[in-house]
Amino acid sequence: MMRLNLVLLLGVVLSGLYLVNVQYESRRLYSELDRAQSQAQRLATENERLQVEKRAQATSARVERLAKSQLQMRAATPAITTYVVYPQSVGAPVQASPSGRDASAVQGRLP
Amino acid sequence: MSRSIAYTSSPLLASPTPVWRSKFIVAAIALGFAGLVGRAVYIQVIENEFFQKQGEVRFARTLALPANRGRILDRNGVILASSIPVPSIWAIPEDVPRDPAGLKKLAKLLDMTAAELNKKLEDEDKTFVWLKRQVDESVGNDIAALGLKGIYQRKEYKRQYPEGEAAAHVVGFTNVEDKGQEGMELTFNKELGGKNGSRRVIKDRMGRVVEDVREQINPVDGRDLQLSIDSKVQFFAYQTLKAAVLEHKAKAGSVVVLDVQTGEVLALANYPSYVPDKRQNLSGAQLRNRALTDTFEPGSTMKPFVIGEALDKGLVTPLTPIQTAPGRMNIGSATISDSHAHGVLTVNEVIQKSSNIGTVKIAMQMPPREMWELYSKLGFGQKPVLPFPGVVSGRLRPYKSWRPVEQATMSYGYGISVSLFQLAHAYTIFGRDGDLVPVTMFKMNERAVGTPVIAGRHAKAVRHMLHLVTIPGGTAQKAQTMGYSVGGKTGTAHKVEGRGYADKKYRGVFAGLAPIDAPRIAVAVMIDEPSNGKYFGGDVAAPVFSQTVQQTLKVLGLAPDMTVIPQIVTDTEEESF
Repeated sequence: MMRLNLVLLLGVVLSGLYLVNVQYESRRLYSELDRAQSQAQRLATENERLQVEKRAQATSARVERLAKSQLQMRAATPAITTYVVYPQSVGAPVQASPSGRDASAVQGRLP
Repeated sequence: MSRSIAYTSSPLLASPTPVWRSKFIVAAIALGFAGLVGRAVYIQVIENEFFQKQGEVRFARTLALPANRGRILDRNGVILASSIPVPSIWAIPEDVPRDPAGLKKLAKLLDMTAAELNKKLEDEDKTFVWLKRQVDESVGNDIAALGLKGIYQRKEYKRQYPEGEAAAHVVGFTNVEDKGQEGMELTFNKELGGKNGSRRVIKDRMGRVVEDVREQINPVDGRDLQLSIDSKVQFFAYQTLKAAVLEHKAKAGSVVVLDVQTGEVLALANYPSYVPDKRQNLSGAQLRNRALTDTFEPGSTMKPFVIGEALDKGLVTPLTPIQTAPGRMNIGSATISDSHAHGVLTVNEVIQKSSNIGTVKIAMQMPPREMWELYSKLGFGQKPVLPFPGVVSGRLRPYKSWRPVEQATMSYGYGISVSLFQLAHAYTIFGRDGDLVPVTMFKMNERAVGTPVIAGRHAKAVRHMLHLVTIPGGTAQKAQTMGYSVGGKTGTAHKVEGRGYADKKYRGVFAGLAPIDAPRIAVAVMIDEPSNGKYFGGDVAAPVFSQTVQQTLKVLGLAPDMTVIPQIVTDTEEESF
């Protein structure tokens, strides 16, 4: 009887300690998960911020300014553009004109 | 063998104390237990809720999960507006050390004077003072590096507008609380806004989250809004317009670009404009979305509609001769005149030369009701169905109150007021089979079905007339653009001031289509009070049209429909466009 009681007491103490351990572990893991989640959140907003910044650096206004001032570029006109028509869309965007304009002519030097 | 003690008879144990003492002790202990049980019942059963709550208050925290405001994108997914968290600086005045050197540095970082900063910090009873909201990330880092006591930062969402002033009137802006105030931001504030969530957690003494108390309420992020605007077209339209307004020393200007086939708004720009995220010293003039909120008398740009209707009703054909000599004409007591006298003009030439007399002669063959119905069908006098705050309807009086001279002036665009957007919208009928396409601010992929106004062949005939305007002999040769055929109509109107027309204040207007044989876009341009010598629509507005068409069709990937002489690039001479 006495021995059984001792075994049970030991069992209770061990399971109690185990419970404490598990609880501690679960809280530790949970706070780690939480930290990871908030880091994910932070990275997501950082990503958004960088995307906006990237866009701000690539707006038409800035591109044009730099192209003109630093690279001495100028706007392309149809006169210096070579138009390539995809076979499946031949004639689609361009229609014959009644007033004698040369509508289907693809201007420039085709490669 | 009597080792056992006879307790009952032992004289030693014969208690000298009275029996009640032991009974008293038992009773006292019993009472103690009863007290404990009572307290336990009180805590665990009767006042359980209160104590639970008190306990929770000490370790449970509610964390707000802010929802992200939706982004505004253009038709190609380019960001027009997006919210990102930035630091806001606040202070507890009592805790801030009165150290002049440190405060001076702080004031400099916050871009304010030391006196201004001191004023914010002088009331020591306050426990919370905003020093500056929504500063740049780098400024926030610099302030944190100063390590001043009592100065704190908090993350707040700030709206960023990469396209800046070019798209300001379309996109609008939000206030410091991230609530929409203008443009799309205001109209779709609810959809963009989303719903904040929350979670209830238990924190340990280090402030770490160790457990969720109840189910987390997830934040619902705002919906992204994809507009029909093309940021490149929008930028070019704005830039060309700005250049023209400055060149002609005008008060303001607007330009609208519509996709004729789908009814999408590709660009809508006004000048003067503003930078949406730097709104200090904003004036009403900058805020006005003129293309939609300002109405004006459209002048000659109305003539093609009247001619189209006359063709549709069989009153004239494009080649019917009309006598416009001697360039003056009386209706009642009023005189109508052409700025240049012409002789006999065909209907084609009436549009090409923009003859008031010719138009009036054709218009007067129509009953007023027919003209009113035409204008109504074109959307004049009604608010455009566009999700913008402050859209106006313009003025179209009921036909029953028209006097003959009013019908006459209305045929060439006086006595009626429209917004530039309405004008651009109405011009789409010539780009289609004579039907008015419903407009939209959102991306569409297919051709829209319109409501018929005039027959398709007549729309085509008017289109030809509009083309004549832009070729030699017409009033708007400056509307021509390299590689693409265009068509359109100029308008120059005296501005209304008080009860009459202002003497030397004009408005130059041009509305047109391109490419003229199979139109893809309708463009309308308005320049308000050009005061640098030129003021005719053909001089001030047509060049803006020309450049906008050139850039837009290029962005849309349309091959030129006209012969261009190829130029071989040999030098790097700078060319303005």
